[in-house]
Amino acid sequence: MLISLNWLKNYINLDGISPEEIEHKLSTSGLEVEEITDQKKIFDNIVVGYVKEKKKHPNADKLSVCLVNDGIEDLSVVCGAPNVEAGQKVIFAKTGAVIPSNGMKLAKVKLRGEVSNGMICSEKELMLGDDHSGIMVLDNNIKEGTPVSEALLMDDVIFEISVTPNRQDALSHYGIARDLAALYNKELKLPEIKINEDAKPASSYASIEIENTNACPRYSAKVVTGVEIKESPTWLKKYLKAIGARPINNVVDVTNFVLHEIGQPLHAFDLDFLVGSKIIVKNAEENSAFVTLDSKKRKLKSSDLMICDGEKPVAVAGVMGGENSEVTEKTKNILIESAYFNPSSVRKTAKHLGLSTDASYRFERGCNPDITLYAANRAAQLIAELGNGKVAEGEIDIYPNPIKPIKVTLRFARIEKILGIDVPKDDVIRILNNLELKVIKQNENDVLVQVPPFRHDIEREIDLIEEVARIYGYDKIPNIEKIILPLDIKVDQSEFTGNIRDIFIALGFNEIITNSLLNDLNAKKFGNPVSVMNPQNSEMSDPRPSLMHGMLSTISRNLKVKEKNLRLFEIGHVFQKLNDGPIKSFADFSEEEHLLFAVTGNAINVGWDQKERKYDFYDLKGFAEEFIRNIYLDNLISYSYNNSQIAHLEYTYEVLFKKETLGAGGKVVKPLLKEYDIEHEVYIFDFNISKLKEIIPLAKKFTELLKYPKVIRDFAFVLDKKIDSLEVETTIKNSGSKLLKNIKLFDIFESDSLGENKKSLAYQLDFYDEGKTLTEEEVDKDFWNIIETVKKRHNALLRG
Amino acid sequence: MLDKINLIQSGFDQDIQNVKSLDDLEIIRIKYLGRKGNIAELFEEFKTLSKDEKPKYGQTLNILKNNCQSKFDEVISKFEAPENGAGSYADLTIPPRVREIGTSHILTQTLNEMKSIFKGLGFSVYEGPELESDFYNFTALNFPPDHPARDMQDTFFVTPEFVLRTHTSPVQIRLMENKKPPLRAIMPGKVYRNEAISAKSYCLFHQVEGLYVDTDVTFAELKGILVYFLKQFFGADIKFRFRPSFFPFTEPSMEVDIWWTPEGKQGRWMEILGCGMVDPNVLKNVNIDPEIYTGYAFGMGVERIAMRKYGIDDIRVFFDNDKRFLKQF
Repeated sequence: MLISLNWLKNYINLDGISPEEIEHKLSTSGLEVEEITDQKKIFDNIVVGYVKEKKKHPNADKLSVCLVNDGIEDLSVVCGAPNVEAGQKVIFAKTGAVIPSNGMKLAKVKLRGEVSNGMICSEKELMLGDDHSGIMVLDNNIKEGTPVSEALLMDDVIFEISVTPNRQDALSHYGIARDLAALYNKELKLPEIKINEDAKPASSYASIEIENTNACPRYSAKVVTGVEIKESPTWLKKYLKAIGARPINNVVDVTNFVLHEIGQPLHAFDLDFLVGSKIIVKNAEENSAFVTLDSKKRKLKSSDLMICDGEKPVAVAGVMGGENSEVTEKTKNILIESAYFNPSSVRKTAKHLGLSTDASYRFERGCNPDITLYAANRAAQLIAELGNGKVAEGEIDIYPNPIKPIKVTLRFARIEKILGIDVPKDDVIRILNNLELKVIKQNENDVLVQVPPFRHDIEREIDLIEEVARIYGYDKIPNIEKIILPLDIKVDQSEFTGNIRDIFIALGFNEIITNSLLNDLNAKKFGNPVSVMNPQNSEMSDPRPSLMHGMLSTISRNLKVKEKNLRLFEIGHVFQKLNDGPIKSFADFSEEEHLLFAVTGNAINVGWDQKERKYDFYDLKGFAEEFIRNIYLDNLISYSYNNSQIAHLEYTYEVLFKKETLGAGGKVVKPLLKEYDIEHEVYIFDFNISKLKEIIPLAKKFTELLKYPKVIRDFAFVLDKKIDSLEVETTIKNSGSKLLKNIKLFDIFESDSLGENKKSLAYQLDFYDEGKTLTEEEVDKDFWNIIETVKKRHNALLRG
Repeated sequence: MLDKINLIQSGFDQDIQNVKSLDDLEIIRIKYLGRKGNIAELFEEFKTLSKDEKPKYGQTLNILKNNCQSKFDEVISKFEAPENGAGSYADLTIPPRVREIGTSHILTQTLNEMKSIFKGLGFSVYEGPELESDFYNFTALNFPPDHPARDMQDTFFVTPEFVLRTHTSPVQIRLMENKKPPLRAIMPGKVYRNEAISAKSYCLFHQVEGLYVDTDVTFAELKGILVYFLKQFFGADIKFRFRPSFFPFTEPSMEVDIWWTPEGKQGRWMEILGCGMVDPNVLKNVNIDPEIYTGYAFGMGVERIAMRKYGIDDIRVFFDNDKRFLKQF
């Protein structure tokens, strides 16, 4: 919202207070000033110039060379405008000036060989209007050298204020002045209204009826007749332009002015268009159509409140007027509507029509039902003055159930309990009264406050405490530096994922965080996704059902910048629908935390002493198992392997706990990689962290370090190629040796010399006893027994 | 005797000067310093001298032995210094075998830094779901139905009753439903806003929520803890200001701005967190008596703070996950 400092000064005396100080005061009391624009500074070095001479430019047909006096000296200036003439008073931007429309800083230049010491400006260049056909010519009485801000009365300071949704009371110049009055403890003045009313009463021109008094508790109106529709005077146009509103005509401008003056939206009807000279406030007919002021046809709902005349709707209540009753150049007689509409009713209508107007914005935040008459009179007075009209006697005011101010008790002790500081009682009372929160009764420990209906945000004691705090000043409340530490047990639900991160970082992985929203088509590849009803665009319609898309997109993006060797992981939530119906409860969808890690490219890069090696399945497996070991689950889980394709993976393997899958990984299939433009092999593993969290790992305990030496033996078997190494390992393990503590496959060899479809597996076995040094004989017994078992079980031959 | 001593000394000096290798040295050692070397022989001879003569030569003999030994040590140390012997060479300028460690995402690092400050102050850490019901995201937090306050946060609706949470505040409700005060916790996590992606905004970001509810929690204490946090996180000279604001779930509410001067640009105030005293309606919604208990709550955006701290001016870079970016932190 834009606020003009000059306009503000109509209601409060701000002499001697700088705009910067006002900005600071407002910002630190709840009305954040986002920007402050000083018109004078915009027009620095731009003055009124007098064109003494005009000559044709010797080298350019369309240019002229002028001699311009800037109040100090005569300067040569090249000008391209067709309307420049000697004897004119013009707006002259001197060297050093910054042209407001384009930010260009002027310097002394040569244009086609002629020196130019500045520029004669058009309306558009100064951002004063749209006219760019020629330069702006001023009244001849203005003295050259006068700063243009003074000549054009551009001496305002504009504040751009961000008003929070609870503060409708501050959505006007008077509202801002009210806060300033409280902050500076100054008097606040509402302009007095003096009207010479006609003898004929307003009620003889029109009648008003409210059918839905819930949606429209109050409807006030004034009638002005014989109005001449014309351009508004300069003072009014200046105020409106300052806050970025476009002046239209005296009637529309006055309603706009009153809206921004006191925050009450008004609407002016051409009385002669109101059939039956009647206003009826009632709900629309379902699916009926209505053309609003912006010439758009709108479809209405029966919940929309309409202003109707004797036969048809003429305005959408509190949102926008209709084309059919708009004030035009021919309008003579006017009915000024000044109503109070129910906030939630206006909000619903504005939302479904997709319309937000200055009026609806204020009504849906709650206006002031007590100010409708004042506003109508204020507008009637101004319209009559500016359009030579006559104001009908009295007003029409329908207000069947007046809204009463509420009363709230404020305990002084409660202020201290909340704020931690004892605000002096006198300050509390002064602040409240200055904000028109009238203290009507004062006791030793509390006060009774009457809250006017325009403060919709104040209903409770805590609301009053906030008002006291923000005006008293947050800076005056101390920053307590002591803190009581609790002695109970601390919880950290993020610790487990923190540990997982540490493990993967230690394994050389880079953590990624990807967009959790993706398009529906991609999402459906990875599960049964939930969808957003109102996505920003179709690329971001579904919360991810898996971390796959984010990972593959990240790999793809990195490949494009030639980052080919990647170890990446992400931890995040994934979402799946659990049934086909709409989501009505938490039971209809799942939200789980997952970990996805992937490797692609080279595990070892080519170097001066090494060959490159690409990541493969066994790297993936190594990372997965090291992870499992480091969260102490290695003794609780089992693995399952599958050479056929599962989902988007081939060569898959799963990590299981009591037959439940905790995670699965493998090599990503080519067709999927192709969709992400990935030509390299990608190995990926997905763990369900939510499930991992449920398993309580075995308590970590110290294992005694071995005191006696290990005995190490190796052997190699030749056996059938199709026998998995895990089977052999299991046979060895189950051979019954109590001394065998560790098995390591250290060589795999395939060659025709071994026989067709044969391979050799070489193992290293560690034997030891925790209690004593083993003898060769003891180990030999077990060792040979193992050899015999493997030979028999797998039809194997001992090698060498 | 003295002649012999001088002779040996001069012989040794000459020999040691001509040493070319460790082998040469070994020969010298045997000749002069060995168990049966020239000097040892002289000592044997010394033993045979009379009592009168002994003091005359004893000192000189010792000087000879020490001189020779120290000279010998000096020379041998020159030969032994390079382990591989003289003339060995390796190109030490060859680039090393690269060892790459992993990295946590800069947002994780920023979050961890925040966590550690608050954990040090006795805050627990709780988490909650991202797909939330309207009740937890809005209603329980005192957003009236059909109130403009609901427009403050652009919301992704899954159904009219379920949303992608717009803030981490619903975790406050979940926590207070399950535990009685005193409660002191932070609640980090992802939140979603239905906004177009640009350098300044993204459809999701990370937030850290804080909550402290007890019998005597005050606004002054909230200010104190935030000042502590700002100084710990940004350094003691951080310039900040408190500004009243509005959130449906706190009252009084405020925002904290820090002074930020982007490189090459003019300084300005930048909002980094919102906070306030927990609204009595929120406490009532979770059956905590607001007459007895008071509390404060705060929420801050991790991205915004990380951008300020590391001089990042485009929020999208966090979610692009370019390895060249990831490796910087």
